[in-house]
Amino acid sequence: MDGHLLSDTFVELTDTMVADFDIIDFLHVLTSRSAELLDVSAAGLLLADPRGELRVVAASTEAARLLELFQLQSDQGPCLDCFRSGQPVAAADLGTDQRWPRFAAAAGQAGFRAVQAVPMRLRDQVIGALNLFRATAGPFDAEAVHVGQALADVATISLLHERNMRRSDTLNEQLQAALNSRVIIEQAKGKLAERLGVDVGQAFTILRTQARNHNQRLSDLARAFVDGTQAITAPASSPRTPRPGTGPRPGPSRPRP
Amino acid sequence: MTGVGRLGRVWGLVAEHAAGRGGQVSAADACAAVVPGVQVTGAWLSVAPDGQAGHLMQVTDEVSRQLAELQLTLGEGPLLDASAFGGPVLASDLAGAEPGARWPAFAPAACRAGAAAVFAFPLAVGAIRAGVLGLYRDRPGPLSDFQLGDALVFADTAIMLLLDAQDRAGAGAGPGEGPGGQPAGLASYRAEVDQATGMLTEQLGVSITDAFVRLRAYAYANDLQLAEVARDIVARRLRLFPDPDLSPGGRA
Repeated sequence: MDGHLLSDTFVELTDTMVADFDIIDFLHVLTSRSAELLDVSAAGLLLADPRGELRVVAASTEAARLLELFQLQSDQGPCLDCFRSGQPVAAADLGTDQRWPRFAAAAGQAGFRAVQAVPMRLRDQVIGALNLFRATAGPFDAEAVHVGQALADVATISLLHERNMRRSDTLNEQLQAALNSRVIIEQAKGKLAERLGVDVGQAFTILRTQARNHNQRLSDLARAFVDGTQAITAPASSPRTPRPGTGPRPGPSRPRP
Repeated sequence: MTGVGRLGRVWGLVAEHAAGRGGQVSAADACAAVVPGVQVTGAWLSVAPDGQAGHLMQVTDEVSRQLAELQLTLGEGPLLDASAFGGPVLASDLAGAEPGARWPAFAPAACRAGAAAVFAFPLAVGAIRAGVLGLYRDRPGPLSDFQLGDALVFADTAIMLLLDAQDRAGAGAGPGEGPGGQPAGLASYRAEVDQATGMLTEQLGVSITDAFVRLRAYAYANDLQLAEVARDIVARRLRLFPDPDLSPGGRA
């Protein structure tokens, strides 16, 4: 593993956790960096809703997001096992693994052969899971699992950031606000996709770019756009969707062209 | 407990309350049923569609009425914060240092009125805002995780019932109940539903709230699942067109 990339990633992530940062944007960056850093094809993040369900809050690619949803709908898969047990769960070869037949089939269709899930823990509570998907079969090395766990821990901390961490209610307040932000962003993606005639993935890229260019929280921009109080301009060139994690790093300290 | 089991149980309590008073199920029933449901002393429901000035739809006791009025008078409090923050605000001990610092006027006034804990739940689906649900207890103490989960589902139910009431005058599709006589669970909504709602604001030229109402009414009227309709809209296999009766100005 590239030591520089590792330290750069943690510096970037902790730098982003300044006052009033956007949790959904942050978790999106975290999944993208996880995929890059751990040399996997995609990463996704699930959080437990106190209503009694897991929710997909971020994914580095659309394929990973759909696969996470599939697990939730079919109620089987390594990420659910990881969440339920609070322990890392690995499947080095989904082609031969017998544990989750429906999940393995869906993963194969999405182009994934191996998966590693690490829990997000807070004290004695499991609050979610970070999931890493790889296109090739083979075991995940111990160091990668270690770093994956550290990234999952950063995701947990980010949820507790803004408020007093000693209050037991804080996590639930933050979590619900984050889940609602996720909904606002999806609504804005839909509206923008329809207005500009692009797909929702492209709409997300345009939204994030404008939020960063204007130094605005992604969910604030999304809300203002949905409410009709702020316009979003189409990019000058025709929009293209860079694969998250492969484009220019969208860190706040780096100006965008 | 699975989300679905919880949803059915909460919906049952709300429907039971409506049956008890012999009326059609409304958001006011969700407000009344949440009190024994999560073991609080009282509750109130303030309706404020899309951030318009709110009105008090339901209070379960006099203290609840005072708590609602205090926040309006003082311009601060957990419910106002919940609306602005977009998530619940859980103040399990109003006499504590943090609520005192956060709401220097409201916290002592609420204690004098007889409340020791206040829990505020915004009635929101993303940018859709329908109002806020307030709960109070006359003794301090947090909602348990189980009670919190139930309270969130009571709030979800109240949102759906408020939006259905809004729709009743419109498409005539009736209350947006699922095939089993229950509202679709909010938490199980997939991103496609939210994206489709956003797309409909453009297709129909309506607010996000009206777009969601129209989406649900379409699914209900055509006996389709919300997720199916949403997927078709996002994939651009389906477009909805402005209803002449619902075009701007056409709605009473």
